[in-house]
Amino acid sequence: MASATSIGKHMRREAPAGTPAPAGTLAPAGGSVQAPAAGQSAAPRVLDVQHIEKVYGSRNNITRALADVSFSVRKGEFVGIMGSSGSGKSTLLNCISTIDSVTSGTVLVNGVNVTAFRPSRLTRFRREQLGFIFQDSNLLDTLTARENIALPLTISRVPARETLARVEDTAQRLGITEVLDKYPYQMSGGQQQRVAAARAMVTNPALIMADEPTGALDSKNARLLLECLEAMNASYQATVLMVTHDAFAASYTHRVLFLRDGRVFTELNRGAAPRQEFFNRIMEVVAVMGGEGSDAL
Amino acid sequence: MLCKIAWHNVRRAGRDYLVYLITLTLAVTVFYAFNTISVQVDIAGVSDQNAGMGDLLGGIISGLTVFLALVMGFLMVYANNFIMKRRKKEFGLYQVLGMGRGQVARIMALETFFVSLGALALGLVLGIGLSQLMVFFTASLFKTQIADFRFFISPSALITTVGCLAAIFFVTLVFNLRVVGRARIVDLMSASRKNETVKTRNTLVSAVIFVVGATAIGVAYARLLDQGLPYDGTPDGMREFFITTLTVVVGTILFFFGLSGFLLKALQAARGLYWRGLNMVTLRQLAAKVNTVSFSMAVIAMILFLAITSVTTGMSLADTMNNTVERGTPVDYTRCLVYWGRRSVAEMNNNKAYSEEEKTYAVADGPVDMMKAGEKDTVEPDTSDAHPFDLSSIAGSYVQVDTFDSTPRGADLPLVDLAELCDAVDMPLPAGTENSDMTMLGLMVITESNYNEYLKFRGMDPVELGENGYTITSDMGATVNDIYNKVLGEGVELEIGGRTLRPVQDHVPEDASTFQNAMMGMNSGTIVLPDDLVDRLDLPPYYSYLLVNYAEDVSTEEGDAYINAYRTYGDVTNAEGASIAGWGQEATRTTTYESVDSMNGLISYLAIYIGFVLVVACAAILTIQQLSGVADAGKNHRILSELGTPTSTIAHSVLAQQTVFFLFPLAMGVAHSAVALKVIIELVSLFGGLSIGGTVGLTCVIFVVAYGGYFCVTYLMSKGMVRDAIRARHTL
Repeated sequence: MASATSIGKHMRREAPAGTPAPAGTLAPAGGSVQAPAAGQSAAPRVLDVQHIEKVYGSRNNITRALADVSFSVRKGEFVGIMGSSGSGKSTLLNCISTIDSVTSGTVLVNGVNVTAFRPSRLTRFRREQLGFIFQDSNLLDTLTARENIALPLTISRVPARETLARVEDTAQRLGITEVLDKYPYQMSGGQQQRVAAARAMVTNPALIMADEPTGALDSKNARLLLECLEAMNASYQATVLMVTHDAFAASYTHRVLFLRDGRVFTELNRGAAPRQEFFNRIMEVVAVMGGEGSDAL
Repeated sequence: MLCKIAWHNVRRAGRDYLVYLITLTLAVTVFYAFNTISVQVDIAGVSDQNAGMGDLLGGIISGLTVFLALVMGFLMVYANNFIMKRRKKEFGLYQVLGMGRGQVARIMALETFFVSLGALALGLVLGIGLSQLMVFFTASLFKTQIADFRFFISPSALITTVGCLAAIFFVTLVFNLRVVGRARIVDLMSASRKNETVKTRNTLVSAVIFVVGATAIGVAYARLLDQGLPYDGTPDGMREFFITTLTVVVGTILFFFGLSGFLLKALQAARGLYWRGLNMVTLRQLAAKVNTVSFSMAVIAMILFLAITSVTTGMSLADTMNNTVERGTPVDYTRCLVYWGRRSVAEMNNNKAYSEEEKTYAVADGPVDMMKAGEKDTVEPDTSDAHPFDLSSIAGSYVQVDTFDSTPRGADLPLVDLAELCDAVDMPLPAGTENSDMTMLGLMVITESNYNEYLKFRGMDPVELGENGYTITSDMGATVNDIYNKVLGEGVELEIGGRTLRPVQDHVPEDASTFQNAMMGMNSGTIVLPDDLVDRLDLPPYYSYLLVNYAEDVSTEEGDAYINAYRTYGDVTNAEGASIAGWGQEATRTTTYESVDSMNGLISYLAIYIGFVLVVACAAILTIQQLSGVADAGKNHRILSELGTPTSTIAHSVLAQQTVFFLFPLAMGVAHSAVALKVIIELVSLFGGLSIGGTVGLTCVIFVVAYGGYFCVTYLMSKGMVRDAIRARHTL
């Protein structure tokens, strides 16, 4: 089963085998092993998730949101996490971003164990190492786009001159200079999301976390945003971790982790495949996972 | 069932209801405590010396309570709106689940009822406790001794308080039912989605509005300082004053309307400051809020202004009386005699033709011996006890001061008047004196020898006028005395009766100018002239004052008792039997002190009561506004936290915003008050100067503690709300 790391057409055959509960625990073991794929072996690991577990509730009423999840992300990777609702993807993202705490296991960012941080250290860590993009853009409605993008820098007390220069630069790269002096309610949803993307990357974070960033967008704007993330990833070597339930969005990534019932069900590596082909492969896995679910019923 | 839901709701929404509860409890406490005044006055022994005081105060205060209950009622409606706004969705849910509107309304009513009941119980307990303590305060205000202290509960105060609370409850209820009754379910359900649309205004326009507002305020200040108050009530004066008032009101509103825009514009110019930490967030948040609350900030500034001004003026007036009463009551007993003037004699004799009266009136040839005049009066004339009102039976030392009209017999104009003196030293006529005696009738005149008798009686050194000397006495305080002092100091020469007179003193002897016991200055200007000059001028007598100190073997109580029992106001006639004078004011030292204490107590009481309730009302409105603002900004705080802002930094940003909201209206109110007080002081200082201190200071401390207390509560609660908002997870 350790070979479940593999990709492509084997998928269809292996996936059902991996689904039974005990077997599922084995599946992710390969997560870290298979990293050499995609030709990124040289890059250092930015994120290392080791056997994390998240349990909600009290003694009589336990919900296991994450059960022994392990995987890693290397610098410059664009990784997608897919799964149906309730599969634990948002919990996973919250745990990595330290917004939520894990029950057990460790999360290493740039080799540092963030699960052991005290609250004050966590705040600094979030500020310096992570960038966030949410489903609803989560811009401050009282600030202009320029001020929203500048916020992470001003919070870190970067000098005003440098702040403004970096905001301008980032905005240019994401093609949103014309909305810089508008308020969120004066922008379209797509523009808001791109402003949010700019805010996430203006600090040059180690890891950009995107939680369903296209969830509230129409297809045209979704495409624009995804191309934007792709460009960020390509030109800045920005490491992006994107949670989505949309196969189309996932097809822009290099690698997709599939989550089910709090476990890594399997993962797909894009390799050199064109986006359309990768999309088809993702759809296959989604179909299998969906079918499996209905079988189980 | 509904009861159960309501009860659980109150407990769950405890924090929302807390401000409501605190304010209502405070209102009940204060209402009850102040309404027990008539009982307190009784226990404090005030009624022993001032029988009507309790009823008078009680009457005024219960009237005031109704007015203040009204203010509180509207405050409660406001507070309640805040709670309602946050719970619309919940009420929508009840209806979606099949509850009728009537039932939802009943839940609402029950909740309000529970909270009101809680506030009533808590407030009454506190109020009863406070009223016991207030007895001591009352006693010290009225300067009395507590004869027998006992625990008391005043049923009438209880009824007034419960009545007011019931009224507040019903007003609140009506408004709540309207909200529930009117709202459509779909609006209720989507209420939380759009709390408040962020309105942004052009900051440049705002900045201009701000400047216009500030200018208007400045103009109004200048106008008020220049024109003063329309004390004389002429239509012109009233119109000018109205314009000034309107300017300041409009200016205040514009000031707060444009404040945020101006702050934003000003700080954006300072780039290093603006793009630093959460400064821009703080400012933008402020701007977004100020847009919606600028009007209420202006109203609060005006209310604070009214509270500060009335309290300060009232209490300073009381304070002033306290300070001047010692100087104003030089002896044990004074009485005065008012001589009929030429015009009034003619008028009264004229009137006589139409009435049955036999009496004729005449202008006196000279002053009457007051000690002797009283002897002619018989007390209890038709009884065997009949005896004259003989002051000499209790008097030790005494002196009579005779002042003369400065308009000689047969002449029409006074020899010297205030306007003339003002011209001489190039000073304006003081506010409020245009139509006064000192301007119309001129200064009074007293002879050098008579004045020296008075000085000797008071144990002071005599003055030496010589051939051509004069001096002026007055105990009216700053404004008028400033003029006299300047006249004397500059050595202004007066041309009187063909003689050129020069001052022999360089300032008014204020301590040697009081001719009768009174709470405030009564001698508005009496010029001391050489005896021979006064004789030659042939002036008619104007006032005679008799100043009496009781004899060594007569105690104050015995002296006062004799006067209270036997004083009479018999006719004062000349040799032909014509009436030449009437008895004027008379006062023992004791009654003067007591009336000062009572007046002092009365004013202080009302000032504190009104001021306290208004200040609490303002603070409560601000608190509610701020808390609702923090609740609305919950999402923003969560985002900031996710971006890695330490919670303490977010809390600081909130603190900065709240400081602006609490401090600016207060600062504006204080500024308005300072200007208004300056004008008021000018007017009031005619009566002996206005001192701000003592009790006023204490009152200010109480107010600042109340206002500051609300500020602290607001901040602490906001901090909790920020923490909760951050803890809520951003996605699920």
